[in-house]
Amino acid sequence: MLPQEIKTASVQETEAVGAQLANAMLKDLSLPPFVALYGDLGVGKTAFVRGFASVIAPAALVRSPTFALVNEYRGKSKPLFHFDMYRITGEDDLYSIGYDDYLARDGIALVEWSENIPYALPERYLRVEIIKDDQEDPDSRIITIEERKSLC
Amino acid sequence: MLIFALDSTAVVGSVALCRDDTPLASFTVKNGNTHSETLLPMAKALFDVTGYTPDDVDVFACSEGPGSFTGVRIGVATVKGLAFGKNKTVIGVSSLEAMARNLLPASGLICAVMNARRGQVYNALFHANGNELTRLCPDRALAATDLETELLARGEPFYLVGDGVEVTTSAFQSLTPLPVASIAAEKNALGVAACALRLYKEGMRTTDQELSPTYLRLPQAERERLEKEQAKKGSEQ
Repeated sequence: MLPQEIKTASVQETEAVGAQLANAMLKDLSLPPFVALYGDLGVGKTAFVRGFASVIAPAALVRSPTFALVNEYRGKSKPLFHFDMYRITGEDDLYSIGYDDYLARDGIALVEWSENIPYALPERYLRVEIIKDDQEDPDSRIITIEERKSLC
Repeated sequence: MLIFALDSTAVVGSVALCRDDTPLASFTVKNGNTHSETLLPMAKALFDVTGYTPDDVDVFACSEGPGSFTGVRIGVATVKGLAFGKNKTVIGVSSLEAMARNLLPASGLICAVMNARRGQVYNALFHANGNELTRLCPDRALAATDLETELLARGEPFYLVGDGVEVTTSAFQSLTPLPVASIAAEKNALGVAACALRLYKEGMRTTDQELSPTYLRLPQAERERLEKEQAKKGSEQ
């Protein structure tokens, strides 16, 4: 199934792509439980997470953890850790949000602004990039999903 | 003298009750980082099976770091809570010294390591003479490869102990540590109690209010900070 490039035309469609990925991960347990999200402010990363969470943790109220830095959603079988690295500037910050402690638990991590933590990505992860592709249509997006290996 | 000791700085959580240097009971759990769920039930069981209550304890002890951020905070907060208002001695010890102490009565160089992730370890070196430890360096964070360079320079056989043994040995290119029984790394609350007893005998009488977590700066973070400061200086000139 991967890599994949999907065009969406609305927030709802972006959510649906998130839900699709969650279903794929439930089916294929060989996929790494770490989703690194890339994309500009307002591009729909949280919408993607909302769709993803609707499958893994249906009761969760998904909000961007810009200030909380990490939200934990209780899932049906696994917890979901929703990180926002926008304000993370180094390893000390990462340590003090318990990043490694979360990853040591048997859950799924969704990490917004993974741009900020290239040195801390796990050995294998799923890279999801959302970009605006059309100046004329402000709701149109291209979402690419691929499996990556970290450099470290 | 009754010592209650607790360690939750790594994946293993453990509690112990000792009469001076004699262990009365200890519990260890290793089922993921769920110290907030396991420590208090283990402490309760410890008191239940020994017939003591927290009021009987003379010294409360815990490892105050280094280690996992969440684990260190849970351990310190739990001991603070147990000792609160009891006007008892509360002693915080180094998690690295606690695990090194578990190897006594060994003799020789002891290298205590905890996994600090991404190729880095928390480490301290000790010399053991059969019944006591001499600390050779402060607790620190460094790359496992740098630790090997330092151990090579020392050129003596060494014991490796702690939850960082696996990452350390896999990072080492040429060094092989002396064999250690695997159980030694997992009875850490007993090591904490032994450290606290030594400090108590030396006259330490700290309270619950003085107990606080010890965090070590990771070398990479230090590097980033220096780079930023230098960049700032450069732009000011």
